[in-house]
Amino acid sequence: MTRVLVPVAVLERESVSPGLISLLGTVDVTLLGYHVLPEQTPPDQARLQFEERATAALEDLSQEFRAAGGDADHRLVFTHDREQTIQRVAGEVGADAFAVSGPTGDVDRLLVSLSGDVDVDRVLSFVERLVGDRDIGVTLFLAAGAGTPDDAAADESERTAPDDADGARLEAAADRLREAGVEATTELAEGGSPFDALIDAAAGHDAIVMAERAPSFRSLVFGDEGERVAAASVGPVIVVRDAESDASAAGTSSEPGE
Amino acid sequence: MTDEPSGRNLDGDAPVAEAVVETDEATITEDAELERTIGLTGGLAIGIGTMIGAGIFVFPGLAGGEIGAAASASFAVGGLIALLVALPTSELATAMPRSGGGYYFISRGLGTLAGTVIGLSLWLGLVFATAFYLVGLGYYALDALAQVGVTIGVGTDALVSGIAVVAGVAFTVLNVTGTENAAKLQNAIVALLLSMLVAFLGYGLLEAFGFVAVDTPPGEAVDVWEAVPILSVAALVFTSYLGFAQVATVAGEMKNPGRNLPLAMVGSVLIVTVLYVLTIFIATNVFTRDALLAAGETAMVEVGRALLGPAGALVIIVGGLLATMSSANASILSTSRAIYGVSKDALLPRWASRINLRYGTPHVALGMAGGPVIVLAATGQVQLLAEVASFLHLIMYGLMCVALVAIRRDRPEWYDPDFVVPGGPVVPVLGALASFGLIAFMDRLSIAVGVVVIAVTAGWYFYYARDVSLKGAL
Repeated sequence: MTRVLVPVAVLERESVSPGLISLLGTVDVTLLGYHVLPEQTPPDQARLQFEERATAALEDLSQEFRAAGGDADHRLVFTHDREQTIQRVAGEVGADAFAVSGPTGDVDRLLVSLSGDVDVDRVLSFVERLVGDRDIGVTLFLAAGAGTPDDAAADESERTAPDDADGARLEAAADRLREAGVEATTELAEGGSPFDALIDAAAGHDAIVMAERAPSFRSLVFGDEGERVAAASVGPVIVVRDAESDASAAGTSSEPGE
Repeated sequence: MTDEPSGRNLDGDAPVAEAVVETDEATITEDAELERTIGLTGGLAIGIGTMIGAGIFVFPGLAGGEIGAAASASFAVGGLIALLVALPTSELATAMPRSGGGYYFISRGLGTLAGTVIGLSLWLGLVFATAFYLVGLGYYALDALAQVGVTIGVGTDALVSGIAVVAGVAFTVLNVTGTENAAKLQNAIVALLLSMLVAFLGYGLLEAFGFVAVDTPPGEAVDVWEAVPILSVAALVFTSYLGFAQVATVAGEMKNPGRNLPLAMVGSVLIVTVLYVLTIFIATNVFTRDALLAAGETAMVEVGRALLGPAGALVIIVGGLLATMSSANASILSTSRAIYGVSKDALLPRWASRINLRYGTPHVALGMAGGPVIVLAATGQVQLLAEVASFLHLIMYGLMCVALVAIRRDRPEWYDPDFVVPGGPVVPVLGALASFGLIAFMDRLSIAVGVVVIAVTAGWYFYYARDVSLKGAL
């Protein structure tokens, strides 16, 4: 079964929008209630004080998810490092994707980004399972020439001459979705930054699905890509995890720390 | 699984305890998980960052002034004792990777009375140590002012105390309100310090072996190579080694604790011992005993000036400021964790571990650390503060070694350390003897103050928490 991790800063009064809850109705959900503490505070100390409140809120939220259709459980983590916690728990529960919460109403159209060196097959099969037999349309998006990841120079030179391979790749993906009974259109962006193009394309869509990419210099400086897209597009983002990060998350326990 | 902690304190609170599962990445309690986020580098930075401030930048003048080049033997003795304690501490910490450090091990191994005394005197010991670091910071700040040409007319002692108090207030406020990455800053400061020191020591060694020559001030006094003075100076400078056990206070947050805790503790002791011995060797090589004595707390600045000119003095001043700051800051952090550990076990009122809603920081515990620190810093008594801090820590170190022997003998079901000290009881027994033995070489007044502190904490146990039982409870 497909599982999506939904991190919620539950003690910061963050919640999950009704639109995202119903969108995730076709999949199982693990709610990850987390609370980030400054380094002065031992996590255990915060747990003693806040555990009950946080657990009560998480139970209410998971009930809402169950009411929307899928199975839902919850975990509560006190941490100094949000990113590390999300990666660890996602690996432990075997989540296929994690959600970045954002306000949205009923979802009738998804924007699915295939830009970059991503596992298209994994993203598409996730989208098929997410949409299920519901009447949700999909726009497949590709920033032309962004196929070479994290190499600005290559990006520039290739983007000036968008090659037909990109278009063909996009059409093949759309065909695959249509075969599965999902209404799909395509959008190929040429020139400019792939990030800005994705944000421009986000208008008219209720949520974005994208693939996780290996941490880069850019993500170190500006933060996680999914977060940035969510912040700029003001809607929920679902990040499909890499098959490799699954393996590496499972491997960290045997690997010496750091 | 184990005996539950039991009993209630005067306020009617019972110790908080529940079964938890420790993994390499998190502590899993019934309803929540606690992420482990501190790696080996972070652990080393806490250990080295706490230790290095005092040892290298304040003591060379005091210790070298007393016995000359023999002070490097004192530092070596201190390092050896620290190592004898760090090994047993590592074993205990990998068996009980929880916040609270030494307090936790002793209360579980030796019972509530010893636990209360150590828990509270760990808090107060850290308070004395922090005050000592802040006074050291005051001396360096004064030198920095002198360096940029600001001369002060009023009494320097008053000014040093003033700077120490202001810095104490600033660190406390910063820890309550600052939610930025204090640990990352700490790591950066420690890295910068280490590189400055290595460069400085490298040049100093070249000079010592005659590859480069500098003018050294003349002096008559000879070095004192005698056992008793060496040990008595070792007792004084032992404050320089008080950092390694602070690593255990964040044991609950260390990633892969079975590997990282022993490496961080033993590693930081070895690294600073080498640095200390080299520094003293160089300082006493450049300056004789009376010259060091005259230069006092900031003798290292003069050593730097003699070796590398004004630039050398500047490097040492900046290093001294950074190091005393990082020591003070790391100690305030450990203090609040020590208070939390004691309060969780109902040995202090529960409100002592409350967390501030706005900043998410333990403001009460930080206040209980910062408040007395400021009062003590105002006294400006470098030597007394350092020795009382050493005394209280040495008692804890000795009892930790005893606790290890006791726990090994009882072999409770939960005791399954990842790291085991080789050689059976030899290392912990030597560690305990050395720790208690070093106390005998301390100044009478320091011992008296320390004994009063211990008596007060024991009195607190009988008054407040007599019914609480913690022994053997995980």
